[in-house]
Amino acid sequence: MNGQKKSTSLPFFGIPKLFPCLRPYRGTIIFMITLGFLSSLIDAIYPLFNRYALDHFVKEKTLLGLPAFIGLFLTILVFQVLINYRSAYDCGRIEMMTDRDLRNAAFRHLQTLSFSYYNQNSVGYIHARVISDTGKIGEAVSWRMMDSVWNGAYIVSAVLVMLTLNIRLAAAVLLLLAAATVLILLFQRKLIALNRRIREQNSVITGGFNEGITGSATIRILAAEKLMQQDFEAETEKMRRISVRTVRFSALLASIVTLMSALMLAVVLAQGGRLTESRIIEIGTLSVFMSYALGMIEPLQNVIADISALIAIQANIERLTRLLAEQSDVSDSPEVIERYGDTFHPKRENWEPLQGDIEFRDVTFRYPDGEENIMEHFDLKVPYGTNVAIVGETGAGKSTLVNLVCRFYEPTEGQLLIDGRDARERSQLWLHSSLGYVLQSPHLFSGSVRDNLRYGKPDATDDEIWDALRLVAADGIVRAMEGGLDSEVGEGGSMLSVGEKQLLSFARALLADPKLLILDEATASIDTLTEKAIQNAISVVTKGRTSFIIAHRLSTITGADIILVVADGRIIERGTHEELLHRGTVYYNMYMTQLSGNA
Amino acid sequence: MYRHARGLRARLFFSILYAMTEKNQTPRFRSGPSLIRFFLRGSLHDFLFSILFASLVSLLDMLNPRIISFAVDSVIGNLKPVLPAPLMDALNGIGGISYLKSRFYLIGLLVAGVALLAAVCRYLFHALNARGAEKLVKRMRDTLYAHLQKLPQSWYGENSTGDIIQRCTSDVDLIKTFLSERLTELIRMIVLIVMAVSFMASISPRMTFFSSLFIPVVVLFGLIFHVKISGAFMKVDVEEGKLSAIVQENLTGVRVVRAFGREQFERTRFEDHNTLYTNHWVRLINILSVYWSIGDLLTGLQLLLVTVLGAVFCVRGRITAGEYIAFVSYNAMLTWPVRAMGRTISDMSKAGISVGRLLYIMNASPEEEPVDALTPPLDRTITFSHVSFRYPGSAGEAEALHDVSFEIPAGTTLGIIGSTGSGKTTVARLLEKLWPLEPGCGSITIGENDIRDISTSYLRQGIGLVMQEPYLFSRTLSENIRVSSPSSTDRDLRRAVRIASLEETIDHFPQGYDTFVGERGVTLSGGQKQRAAIAQMLIRKTPVMIFDDSLSAVDAGTDARIREALKTETAGATVILIAHRISTVMDADQIIVLDGGRIAERGTHASLVAEGGIYAKTWRLQTAAPASGEGKGGIA
Repeated sequence: MNGQKKSTSLPFFGIPKLFPCLRPYRGTIIFMITLGFLSSLIDAIYPLFNRYALDHFVKEKTLLGLPAFIGLFLTILVFQVLINYRSAYDCGRIEMMTDRDLRNAAFRHLQTLSFSYYNQNSVGYIHARVISDTGKIGEAVSWRMMDSVWNGAYIVSAVLVMLTLNIRLAAAVLLLLAAATVLILLFQRKLIALNRRIREQNSVITGGFNEGITGSATIRILAAEKLMQQDFEAETEKMRRISVRTVRFSALLASIVTLMSALMLAVVLAQGGRLTESRIIEIGTLSVFMSYALGMIEPLQNVIADISALIAIQANIERLTRLLAEQSDVSDSPEVIERYGDTFHPKRENWEPLQGDIEFRDVTFRYPDGEENIMEHFDLKVPYGTNVAIVGETGAGKSTLVNLVCRFYEPTEGQLLIDGRDARERSQLWLHSSLGYVLQSPHLFSGSVRDNLRYGKPDATDDEIWDALRLVAADGIVRAMEGGLDSEVGEGGSMLSVGEKQLLSFARALLADPKLLILDEATASIDTLTEKAIQNAISVVTKGRTSFIIAHRLSTITGADIILVVADGRIIERGTHEELLHRGTVYYNMYMTQLSGNA
Repeated sequence: MYRHARGLRARLFFSILYAMTEKNQTPRFRSGPSLIRFFLRGSLHDFLFSILFASLVSLLDMLNPRIISFAVDSVIGNLKPVLPAPLMDALNGIGGISYLKSRFYLIGLLVAGVALLAAVCRYLFHALNARGAEKLVKRMRDTLYAHLQKLPQSWYGENSTGDIIQRCTSDVDLIKTFLSERLTELIRMIVLIVMAVSFMASISPRMTFFSSLFIPVVVLFGLIFHVKISGAFMKVDVEEGKLSAIVQENLTGVRVVRAFGREQFERTRFEDHNTLYTNHWVRLINILSVYWSIGDLLTGLQLLLVTVLGAVFCVRGRITAGEYIAFVSYNAMLTWPVRAMGRTISDMSKAGISVGRLLYIMNASPEEEPVDALTPPLDRTITFSHVSFRYPGSAGEAEALHDVSFEIPAGTTLGIIGSTGSGKTTVARLLEKLWPLEPGCGSITIGENDIRDISTSYLRQGIGLVMQEPYLFSRTLSENIRVSSPSSTDRDLRRAVRIASLEETIDHFPQGYDTFVGERGVTLSGGQKQRAAIAQMLIRKTPVMIFDDSLSAVDAGTDARIREALKTETAGATVILIAHRISTVMDADQIIVLDGGRIAERGTHASLVAEGGIYAKTWRLQTAAPASGEGKGGIA
């Protein structure tokens, strides 16, 4: 029962929180529920036909009125079939439309959230919000709601019919029905907990397969097959135990519940039989009671299952609404949006061209989830065309400066000036549209090489693409591929090596012809000679651009205009290569270490 | 006797397995059914018993309407009771029908008694079924996992991870559901239909004839519909997969999306696809709604027919009121099995597809272990002699290695330098037998023995390799480092960690050695992962060690510190250092430079620098002194 936090008991299962999304379908939902109600009412009426047949035709030995009987039956049947068709279709439509709208809203909102959100939540977590939460909610507001209405209405109408037919017999049945309800409720809670454990264990097993497959080479090399197999089998054994236990438990419930319904039948027969024999009720009435005794348990079980599903859905609704309510750390002010447009409706006509002068003025910075200031009262002028290099050990915080320049984060205090104006005076998209970025771990999208290269410049011609490829010495890679520019790169660029991906992502950045170029440890896995080729390309491309380069190898940045040395998240030295060497402290030591290759 | 038979069977199985490994092309399982039979070992009897109890449940369920009709006609009504002889005798024994007339509760007790028996059978049916199903699914998972551990790397290269996982999870579940639920359900349905129809026939053959006419109609209608619609379901699944992939890519590539300001493009792409997917579903829902409604209509018509026929037959005195009620009850029992049957049968084809997908994995040929495998000492000279290698499926492209020959005397260090794609990693892979060297493409020997004759597992136990992109398991740090030798002492662990320069890092973690590294080691930085992988190898104290560019993510100082510690702590081991960074290999006893799969240069650091080739050029680039002017060209 752990994890069943009571924080999730919202009024009406949290569904009111979804009202804005359901508003367009309000009419359809009401219509659908009405139809469902009618349909179940008709279902509860069917046994009455039987009653009439028994008490009229059979008892009085006459077929008088049979055509009318058939006519009425047929009319009701056709009516119900039409109702069923319409409500099922509406139900499915509402499910899919709600899904679609929620997914769109979530996806759209994600495009505007700042990086601190992405750093705090794993891709798998966010993905589940967009895909599975929305799906579950859609199902809840359509089928679950419909189903509970249908089953609830059936039980209520059956009870009403029974009460009008014979109160004493009805009371006996209701007593047993109440007992069954209590039993099902008790079992249900336990079953929900057990099923949660099965789901958890299931993801452990999937994880096990994932590891066995993606890590297969490592397992071979470490000769760890036996250990891995043992551990995996321990997990599948655990799964087997929980599953068997769960099924036994639910089998017990199923058996008891059907037993209860048979008990109801027994009571009806014993009690009702006596009543019938003493002519208090007719045989037809007895048969109606018997039909309900056998037919009411299933709707009861369904209603309870629906209610537990609706309770469970609260967690999904809460997670999704939390995502939708998430505020971006970096956002454009209403005035800025008014003038420059937002992420999805840019007003490009108002955009001033970006020059490329960057200035940090008295910037103090702390990550939103961090505790200490990473920068304090930091000043730096980067005039147009300057090359800034950032060096330091792995994990020293070299990316911070770049994150600020890109406005992936906002300074805690102080200002970032772009072309002499506070960065916040212009929209994020305005800045990003003039940015070129090559990442430490290059990311390509599934699709062709051409699609990927054109990502920053959708209308680039093939000639332009080839020019960019040549500049970074990647034209050979593409030419070696069978389909040339049309070759598929696979999901995440899986068909290419890391080095190739980096070269392509470089070409992609160049093609966008950015005013600002950012290279984030882009040269880490390219061999020295290829790197040399890239450096030559950089020297051409950085002309007329402001650039920030984060590099491992000091030899690649000796020519930079400003070198910033970072340690423990702070900038501890700055200057040109010569100045820093002259100083003979941190940079000097790093450089000498790399030069000699010895500590 | 039984044990003996089992032993024989096991031996037979292994001998077949052995034969398979010898002849690569022979599939292990001829067909889907043979694979299913294999998986069903150990659980088949559970399923058979569960079906037996299921049939008992159906039989017991048949009794109630009979009791009711008896009660209505003879206990409530005044018809002469018609019962089988033994029951009649029993009835007369307790005092005839009048005895019952004054004790209606006995009828209730009878119903309750039958129900209790049915409940016990029902429980046993489900419990046995679950026992079989879970045994079956465990066997499938374990077998698949074990087989995957034997498949060669070339197989992994040809198949995507997502697809293999899909087969091992969704397809396994589907087959389990098929065997434990669908198949037993189908058998149950058939048993139920046969029983209900025969009980109905005992009441009135003519009424049964007319009312059963619906059965084939409804079953066929359901079957044809589901077969036709399955294509549309598959299409929807594919669309959903695409939608999910778009989200996945957008999330993992969030930096690229933002940096290029492509949010609008991403949004449009997603929304377009979302609409497409939704419309597919809505269309499908419409078709399904029509299907369900027609099903409702057919069921309703059949109910009408039975009601009217029953009434007419009753009026004409062919059946009694009690029989009428019983007939209607039997008919109601038929409704759902008949309606669901078409779908159940059509689902079988899906299971067939899944079995085929597992067959694909199970029939993939495992890595070969040589016949009469040798286990010679590995601290001997390693020789590559005229080795050429081409990755399968790369026909048309250049060979990964071409006529490569070199010798590493035992206890010495070889450095390998070369650009991306020059074949450095291939050297390591071939030596580990991760990829087999084809006959006639040269040879690799250790001491006197060709590695093709050496036991693969033995070889891998003796040759440690740290890969370019290290892979850590989602366990704690110490479990990760110990994964290949779980029995190693704490001293061994600390020694490995110290040499790998990981000590300080671990001290910084609040949980120290028990720090959980997350899936694939996501919680660690690139450099930390590399060092953990180095410790993972060092703890095994192998006579041969290969470092495949495994210091690339650590800074130069740590790189040097690790190499220094290696030199003193693992003296006597044969070492291969593969690197981009010349400082990593410059102290090696000999260095080879690979270029396009060929050895372009070889010698020591001093001789290579003097030679003035690729090596010397790379060396100058990497150590470019500020005054030399060469480095200046790097960034203008």
